[in-house]
Amino acid sequence: MVSSDPAIWIAAFFTIAATSYAFRDNIVFKFAENTFIGIAAGHAIVMGVKNIRDYGWAHIMNGEMIYAVVFVLGIMLYFRFSREYYWVYRYPIAFLVGNGVGISIRAGIHSDFIKNIAATASPIIAATPLDTVNNILIFVGCVTALSHFIFTYEGIHKGTIGWIPKVGRWMMLLSFGASFGNTVMTRFGMYQGRVLFLLRDWLGVV
Amino acid sequence: MDYKRDIPLVITFIVGVIAVMDYYTTFSAVKETFTIIKNWGVVLQAFALGLGAANLFRVHGKRISDRKTSEWYFSAWLLFMLIVFVVVGLGTGQFEASSQYKWIYNAIFLPLGATMYSSLAFYMAIGAYKILRARNIDSFLLFATAILVILGNTPIFPATFPAFFYTREWIFTAIVGGAYRGIRIGIGIGAVVIGIKTLIGMETGYLGRR
Amino acid sequence: MSAWEKLAALPRELVLTLVLIAMIIPTLHPLGLPIMTGQMAQDWYDTVDALPEGSVILFDIGYGSGGYPSLGPANIAVFHQFFEKDLKVVIMATALEGSMMYPLVMEGVKPESNYGAVYGEDYVFLGYIAGEQTAMAGVLGDLPALVSTDYTGIPIAQISILQDVAGADDFDIVAYLTTAGGTSEGWVYQAYSAYDKDVLGGFLSMMTTSMKPYYDTGQLLGLIDGVKGAADMEFLTRHPGDAIQSSDVLSFTQTLVIILILIGNISYFGAKASRKEET
Repeated sequence: MVSSDPAIWIAAFFTIAATSYAFRDNIVFKFAENTFIGIAAGHAIVMGVKNIRDYGWAHIMNGEMIYAVVFVLGIMLYFRFSREYYWVYRYPIAFLVGNGVGISIRAGIHSDFIKNIAATASPIIAATPLDTVNNILIFVGCVTALSHFIFTYEGIHKGTIGWIPKVGRWMMLLSFGASFGNTVMTRFGMYQGRVLFLLRDWLGVV
Repeated sequence: MDYKRDIPLVITFIVGVIAVMDYYTTFSAVKETFTIIKNWGVVLQAFALGLGAANLFRVHGKRISDRKTSEWYFSAWLLFMLIVFVVVGLGTGQFEASSQYKWIYNAIFLPLGATMYSSLAFYMAIGAYKILRARNIDSFLLFATAILVILGNTPIFPATFPAFFYTREWIFTAIVGGAYRGIRIGIGIGAVVIGIKTLIGMETGYLGRR
Repeated sequence: MSAWEKLAALPRELVLTLVLIAMIIPTLHPLGLPIMTGQMAQDWYDTVDALPEGSVILFDIGYGSGGYPSLGPANIAVFHQFFEKDLKVVIMATALEGSMMYPLVMEGVKPESNYGAVYGEDYVFLGYIAGEQTAMAGVLGDLPALVSTDYTGIPIAQISILQDVAGADDFDIVAYLTTAGGTSEGWVYQAYSAYDKDVLGGFLSMMTTSMKPYYDTGQLLGLIDGVKGAADMEFLTRHPGDAIQSSDVLSFTQTLVIILILIGNISYFGAKASRKEET
């Protein structure tokens, strides 16, 4: 049975409006697009205010006055829009960049670099012949793909060892094909959620 | 010292070094300082969430006041919806937990968000039809694994011939596992180098040009 | 225009309409095809299954409305397993819309009525915490120093599950579902590398290839591969839902994509051959 809930009807309208762009740009889509951007920005403000209250103001209320500094820094962010005082914005953004970079590189070295190199340097011979073949392919794929990104020594891309980065490019292309296959599944899986909504929640035919 | 440029570089360096020291040392003073830095980071990121909205007010406010294009009323609608959502969110005092807020979210934001991202499915279909062609050895390799992975991902094929499923699993184990490991190591090196350059002030793009 | 060229120039509207039809038919008439579970989802299931009763999980809802069709069903399935096994779940959100996803997921799980779970004792939701990796490092480093209330404003002193949780040492495992590349890598960096925790990760299928090295190197003990992983989890936890239903649709839509790819290639090579013949 078709839903009688106005919220479902509104949601169905916006689902169809947002889909319509795939066929052709139109005024209904533009209306949906602007609604989306407005609400998304509104949601960001609401969540921002809540976070400021819960993780900043709450500390000040507990007597931790050092947190007043971050409120000053937060206001300084909005000098981004001033031509004259743009430099004020650099102070808080410098804090955010320093924090973000420090937090990610300290662990990134271990996760991306050490762990992957250690795994590649582990024994190739495995319990079964298939696993051994897989290990060889993983080793070859890793080393050759990495060699493709060596730009400081031009010689690696030419002459007798030029095949190494070439094999790396082939391995990467094979992997990108797999990525494409999975991307197809992602997008169809996502849109299926909307089809299910329209047929089940709105029209009630499923 | 140029307070407009050098002090921000010093801030980046000090904050970044404390974050790194927190990982490599066990000094309680470093741990305590970094806890405050992290908490400040959360609050500062929350302040930054309003930057997008502030920019929307600037851009669309100008469009409304100029009324040069025929679509200025869309800008007015955008800002109206922004204000409505903020008023509902903050006015109830319950933020996103209020029933009114949830109602608007589920009726408008959820379907729009879900459809906007997923509509790319249609472009994937068009792209697969128009672009994915085995023109040469490189595109053939991409084409071959794409087809094999799609076959393995499509339940009707593994249900008929389980070999499709195992082929897909093997591609992920042996091919993707190797090549992406190489890419990961490359990304890791690049990220660390850029990170260190940023901390020591050799990379200053984030400060802007003005 | 030759027949080959015509085949290569099917109207865009026709292709899109075929895609829509391929989605609608199996939704109306499901095939109920069997699911072959992948090793990555099986590893997630087995890892959680091996946790002793009462273990504490830190779970991140790192997706919003865009990712809900893929990751929402996965989230519901993994929560069924958590509550069935009497695990304690501390939930947070690193995605801006994460706190709007939480009620949708809980509506699907119904922990109180299905498992007798009690909010505050068996699970708690901290809400959205801004800052991505900063938020992760904050919660794992010193949770009470950052968080003072749950998402409805109840002070953490009144939430029994949080009485013994001060940071990473008090979590037995960290799990997340996300659509963001930064978040998916961030949890590996912060939970695994910085705090040496076991980590389970789930993301959109298109992110799986780039996250696979973390799984291969043991930094992720299990992995949910988008809607396919969600269907696997629904099957493994014996709670069939939207993801398994999506599998039928994928059979139709992806077969159509394969047909389109083949048509594109046949027309390309056909046109090329006919051009050669002409010259």
